[in-house]
Amino acid sequence: MATGRTVKRHARFYVDGHDLSGIARTFGPLRWEYDMPDLTTLTDEVAGSLPDHASVSVGALRTVLTNTASGIHAAVEAAGTPRIIMAPIGIRAAPLAGDPVFAGRFLQGAYKMVEDAGAIVMDVPFGEWDAAGFIDYDKPWGHLVHANGAETVANNGTASVDGLASSALGGYGILHVFDGDGTCTFSIQHSNTNTDGAFDAAGNVLAFDGTDATEPFAEIKALGKTATVNRYLRWQIVLGTATTVTFAIGFVRG
Amino acid sequence: MAAQTGRTVKRWVTFIVDDSAGTLREIPVDSINGVGLEYPEADVTAFQDALKGVLPDTPECTIEIGGPFDNSVAAAVGTLSGSHTVLSGINGAGVPLSLDVRVGMRHAWESGEPQFGITSSATSGFLCMSYNVDMATAKYTAKFAMYPGSAAPAWGTAAET
Repeated sequence: MATGRTVKRHARFYVDGHDLSGIARTFGPLRWEYDMPDLTTLTDEVAGSLPDHASVSVGALRTVLTNTASGIHAAVEAAGTPRIIMAPIGIRAAPLAGDPVFAGRFLQGAYKMVEDAGAIVMDVPFGEWDAAGFIDYDKPWGHLVHANGAETVANNGTASVDGLASSALGGYGILHVFDGDGTCTFSIQHSNTNTDGAFDAAGNVLAFDGTDATEPFAEIKALGKTATVNRYLRWQIVLGTATTVTFAIGFVRG
Repeated sequence: MAAQTGRTVKRWVTFIVDDSAGTLREIPVDSINGVGLEYPEADVTAFQDALKGVLPDTPECTIEIGGPFDNSVAAAVGTLSGSHTVLSGINGAGVPLSLDVRVGMRHAWESGEPQFGITSSATSGFLCMSYNVDMATAKYTAKFAMYPGSAAPAWGTAAET
């Protein structure tokens, strides 16, 4: 995992288990803002406020129109529908484990065809967090635990994310399953010691519910607000009938 | 080199703010707006006045910054920390932050040269109220406002802590 600055071509955009990066032209802005009610009184030296409700949105996605099975037409043709979205930000390379991710469940406002200098493109604006899928967190930024890729065996490696310290503020995981040939369970494991054995001993911090990898799907799973999340994180799978699964996992620490 | 006087350019301006642990960090910026106190004018003109008159009301200070998205690890002031590394940890947190905009005079800032900001306490400081990232340009914007009842930030020549 590199650190530092980057450019947009290293960002990716996943919607409900569909990787739309290959047809996306732009997306965003990735918005995270707080209402600022004025709490100034007569004797204050300067006007002041406190953060109230957060407003989080992934902004608008603009893509070329393609009606392939994995294209945008199949993924987001139905507007007015909530979508689980994850946008990993690669740092001067395709996204790797540990890279920043912006994620959430946002209401898709429209699916509109427009002409852009002769190209037929699609505008897909997303609004605020879907009110039918609230989780008790107001933070959209986390880290990539598993970059988009195929796995054929369980994980016996070390951490893919180092949180620098354990925390007792919970968090939530985001899973996008792009492809597979059967069933599989997906989870995030945690440990305070970065060894395979320590991860096995500590077990899952979070286990996703979805298991059918034969169709694209996505899931957000939240922990309790005071759940302990150890310093190190790694992805884990248990293959059922599947022999290969292609997926990405992100985690937002509370 | 001793503190200098005269004019300067933007390349010598630095933006420093507390991270989520209360440690000052310098983050990359390519725009800083709102540095200073702004007093709204209350119009108190009466019919009988020869001309319009105003009085200054409670000042405001909202600082907006922008710069490159950067996830570099946190580092001591003097070395840039990642903008995302710092801002993602302080946005929306209700704890007052120290903030220091240092204006170096044709060289890296030194004590004795202008700076604007505040050293935080339990009841005084800035709050980060928004952190937005535009991936079309791979740049961020962020907004800082004052904690309620805070002491006012001020121009000075000594580093905030």
